[in-house]
Amino acid sequence: MSRGVFPADRAGVAGAVVLAVAALVALAAPLLVPADALDVTRVSDAAWQPPGAGHWLGTDHTGRSVALLVVRGTGTSLFVGLTAAVLSVGIGTLVGILSGHVGGLFSGALLRVTDFFLVLPSLVLAIALSTVLPRGLGTIVVAIGLTSWPSTARMVRAQTLTVEARPFVDRARALGGGHVHVVVRHVLPAVVPLVLVNATLAVASSIVAESTLAFLGLGDPTRISWGALLHQAQLHGAVPRGAWWFLLPPGLAIVVVVLAFTLVGRALEAVVTPRG
Amino acid sequence: MRVKLGALLAVAGLLGTGAPPSHAQAPVVLKVAIVQQIDSLNPFLAVFQSSTEIGRLMYDPLTAYAAADQAVTEGLANRWEPSADKLTWTFTVPAGKTWSDGQPITARDVAFTYNLMLTDEVARTANGSFVTNFDTVTAPDDRTVVIRTKAPQVTMLALDIPIVPKHVWEKVTSVKDHTDDRGPVVGSGPFVLTEHVPGQFLKLKANKSYWRGAPKYDELHFVYFQNSDAAVQALGKGEVDLVNRMAPAQFDSLGDRQGVTRNRAQGRRFTELLVNPGAQTRTGEPIGDGNPALRDVRVRRAIAQAIDLDALVQRVNLGYAEKGAGIVPPVFSRWHWQPTPEQRRTFDPAAANAALDAAGHPRGADGTRFTLRLAGRAGRAYDEQASEYLRRSMSDIGIALDVRLVSDNQLNEVTTAATYDLAFSGWAASVDPDFVLGLHTCGQRPGADGKGGTTDAYFCDATYDELYARQLSEFDETKRQDLVKRMQARFYDQVPAVVLAYDNALEAYRSDRFAKFTTQPAQGGVIMAQHGVWGYYGAEPAGQAAPAARGWGGLAAFAAACASMLMLIAVYVRRRRATADERE
Amino acid sequence: MRLAGRFGGAALSLVMVAVLGFFLFRVVPGDPVVSMTRGRPTTAAAQDALRAQFGLDRPLHEQFWSYFTGLLRGDLGTSFTFRRPVAEVIGDRIGPTLLLVGTSTLVAVLLGLWLGVRAGWRRGSVFDRVTTGASLALWSVPTFWLGMLLMMATGEVFPSRGMRDTDTAPDFVSQSLDVAHHLVLPSVTLVAVVCAEYVLVMRSSLLQETAAPYLVTARAKGLRDDLVRRRHAVPNAVLPAITLVFLRFGLVVGGAITTETVFSWPGLGLLFYDALTGPDYFLLQGLLVVTAAAVVVMNLLADLLHGVLDPRVEVV
Repeated sequence: MSRGVFPADRAGVAGAVVLAVAALVALAAPLLVPADALDVTRVSDAAWQPPGAGHWLGTDHTGRSVALLVVRGTGTSLFVGLTAAVLSVGIGTLVGILSGHVGGLFSGALLRVTDFFLVLPSLVLAIALSTVLPRGLGTIVVAIGLTSWPSTARMVRAQTLTVEARPFVDRARALGGGHVHVVVRHVLPAVVPLVLVNATLAVASSIVAESTLAFLGLGDPTRISWGALLHQAQLHGAVPRGAWWFLLPPGLAIVVVVLAFTLVGRALEAVVTPRG
Repeated sequence: MRVKLGALLAVAGLLGTGAPPSHAQAPVVLKVAIVQQIDSLNPFLAVFQSSTEIGRLMYDPLTAYAAADQAVTEGLANRWEPSADKLTWTFTVPAGKTWSDGQPITARDVAFTYNLMLTDEVARTANGSFVTNFDTVTAPDDRTVVIRTKAPQVTMLALDIPIVPKHVWEKVTSVKDHTDDRGPVVGSGPFVLTEHVPGQFLKLKANKSYWRGAPKYDELHFVYFQNSDAAVQALGKGEVDLVNRMAPAQFDSLGDRQGVTRNRAQGRRFTELLVNPGAQTRTGEPIGDGNPALRDVRVRRAIAQAIDLDALVQRVNLGYAEKGAGIVPPVFSRWHWQPTPEQRRTFDPAAANAALDAAGHPRGADGTRFTLRLAGRAGRAYDEQASEYLRRSMSDIGIALDVRLVSDNQLNEVTTAATYDLAFSGWAASVDPDFVLGLHTCGQRPGADGKGGTTDAYFCDATYDELYARQLSEFDETKRQDLVKRMQARFYDQVPAVVLAYDNALEAYRSDRFAKFTTQPAQGGVIMAQHGVWGYYGAEPAGQAAPAARGWGGLAAFAAACASMLMLIAVYVRRRRATADERE
Repeated sequence: MRLAGRFGGAALSLVMVAVLGFFLFRVVPGDPVVSMTRGRPTTAAAQDALRAQFGLDRPLHEQFWSYFTGLLRGDLGTSFTFRRPVAEVIGDRIGPTLLLVGTSTLVAVLLGLWLGVRAGWRRGSVFDRVTTGASLALWSVPTFWLGMLLMMATGEVFPSRGMRDTDTAPDFVSQSLDVAHHLVLPSVTLVAVVCAEYVLVMRSSLLQETAAPYLVTARAKGLRDDLVRRRHAVPNAVLPAITLVFLRFGLVVGGAITTETVFSWPGLGLLFYDALTGPDYFLLQGLLVVTAAAVVVMNLLADLLHGVLDPRVEVV
């Protein structure tokens, strides 16, 4: 089946460009946003200003510029998304390779656990975890990471099994290659592209998950993230006030970045598994 | 095809106009938004403010608080008399008051209720503290209740206990399992509960035989909202008639709304900043890990002096609060205390700095004297904002602030284990100040095992406790007021906590549907969350009182949109099939 | 044999859910009794009494045993917010959630599969690009945000909360219309997000199927295009898609929490949110067990269904 009709690669490039911009914004946020501009004790502008000359995205309930808040939130959202994805994919890869490579009863048990976590409603579990653990960015990362790894594990396990069934792995074993050798030399290289794709897609879902947890009031209240901004918007009555300028930008930022990650992930997927 | 389209349009049209034919005599309904869950409607178990408030509408207490001035007034009893030694109280329940099922209300109902609480532990869940000092409760005849207490108790006219009908409740085998929400629930209040759908709504109907006279409208509905944001929106749309617990920003947003009147009332709540004075158990064992520097009253005073209360009220409460002082809010004007000019600590960072220098806490190389942790609740708008201001105020006097906003139960944990330096807290006071004053006595600290305490401030002061004991047995109100005010002055001076603000209660109602509500107190009082039934009971429908418009238009439009989409798809598929057939 | 294995696996999952539900909420630092008595005068004796009433004074393994045996009898403990059995509290709320999730899933599955088939069959067409693009975008949208936007955008057209008005006439037609009126926004929100996933799943499933040699042959033979699609490709592609739909049922449950929260829809999701603010651990534990068990059962059903529908899969 020939590819090319569907412009996955072009979309992927667009996604990559968006991500590059987002990363730049996140890194440059300290330069773009003056130190005092988001300090509620120092802000003197009127609250709830619609977009206009002074603030091109209006102001929030304390008179802070929504545009600056969104810029400032980029870093947190990306950070949580990336670290949670790394954690999730890390666990998934480890479990997947272990259960694929080791075999036997141990593998069966791991598979059982994986399947168990696969069916659990991950948001429910993440919410439960974040109520149980102390409040903070770390908790969010752990809550998301610990609940979203099973699909990666499943995929990595399948790939591991495929690779290990190949003749050259048998040969390597026969030549005295130990577990470490087989895993590092043969399994890992075959698994890495898949893991990369998964990680990219995991970032996307992690960012959405972070915003959901923050919206439910389970986030780190001392940090500005896009989800936290939406939580604030709801807490301070942006909807009845009709303050669309406080509601729209953080949400759109989430959508754009998540979409970008998804597009890049799909483009990578198309490269890795050319059938897709 | 055309027939189908016509039929669909007809259905859509039906939906559009299909509002149920309004009856000629539609009942007048007051719809109230509640944001807090209903925990239980069993008056012995209900703890949440929302449910106790509804409980009062269903069951009258023995004595009530008047709407105008919150003075004690007739409840089920119209006369009361303490004995000379103040140990025996005799209440008279007059004839002529009836339960909503027509049975007469007698002294035996009252005695039954109190004795149930004395004998059944579960029945003490909600209001047990009122009867801990009771010895016996008897009803020698249908009109007389005699209560003997173990020690004199000034709060005998503040027994906020719903009295339940004996003839109904004596058949209840387990108080714990009785939900008391299968309508109609026999009660004595101005409204009778008819239906409760958990998580959705409660319906009550006017008790036409209420002894104060029937309410001026027919039904009272409480509608549950997940958050006040949605409630405010619904008020704007006319889906509900009355909303309270609004955030300042939400209150402001209703400022120019047609047909809506706002009520900015003095609230019963105050917000405070706890300053851990070196927490100890009742037995004097230190608990927690509060910063030792705070054991020095000079340091606590310096911290209080460095906080700009006016700025907090203006910027965080958006002006919808009064600056804090004593621990009884100004709405209870008889007991409220304000410092004299000599007693008052004015905002003065320079003086605070000097005081800290003098107390032996010099600034380090980086300008910091020491670090304090500030605990607050995540998701509470006040804590999130005020902590920013406090961080700045404290840095001005060389104290670094480590802000830790945590979940509700984690904050609870921090305060019960005294593992805080500074923490946000707050209490709601009652008409009788006993509860809020008693919180800060030595005896409210936890026991030796660190459990069983009520206080979160860990104040223990001999002067304060002595005044507390005296006011508790002072039956002359003027003298008791003086004692209560002296206690607050002592509290203010010793700073186990800084009272930051007395929050306003922010309410709004559809004045195009209801013309008038009775507030408590009359001046600047609240409609909802009263110590009584007046707000709901005294509501008067506006003249025309048109029932809220029902907007079926949305559903009709949506149905029409769905229908036309289906039609389009059907047409499309048919066409394709037709062309495919032709192609073949 | 296989069937027994399926049931065995599901049963094991249920046991694990029960164990997890218990221990997850026991590791919480803090004393539930303190949150129960917060803001009210209390004594050590009263606290001890409460502790005894809820069985919190017993050793952990005894608590676990009574919890576990209780579960087998359908007893999920007592909610300390509502002071009623958790099973009853959940029972009160299950109807609205079933209505919302049921309606939305049904619509999302039908719409999603249909769109997915169309898009996948005409891969690269304008229809495909628009559908796929829109699905990817919707898939990226946080559910709660979409709900808030819809609420703001529709203004006064739809009710802002709940499932029913209190003053609707009691007859069946008025009540149903009222519920439908309230259902529009929450279900549109849920459908939009969930449907996007189904479109993508169905589309890629169909793409895989069309790459299969027999279909290439069929088309090459000159069989009419939509006959090939309807008779061969779709039936075979729908199976994996349906399975995935069931597998992703957990996603719907998650979406329901935020949707119900935004629209005050009186179902399990809202109850979950309310239990969080307590936090009411017994209730949370019960909700976790019930939702997870529902998902486990759905998966089992998907497996069985798959076996029944697809002769290639051997069930027994």
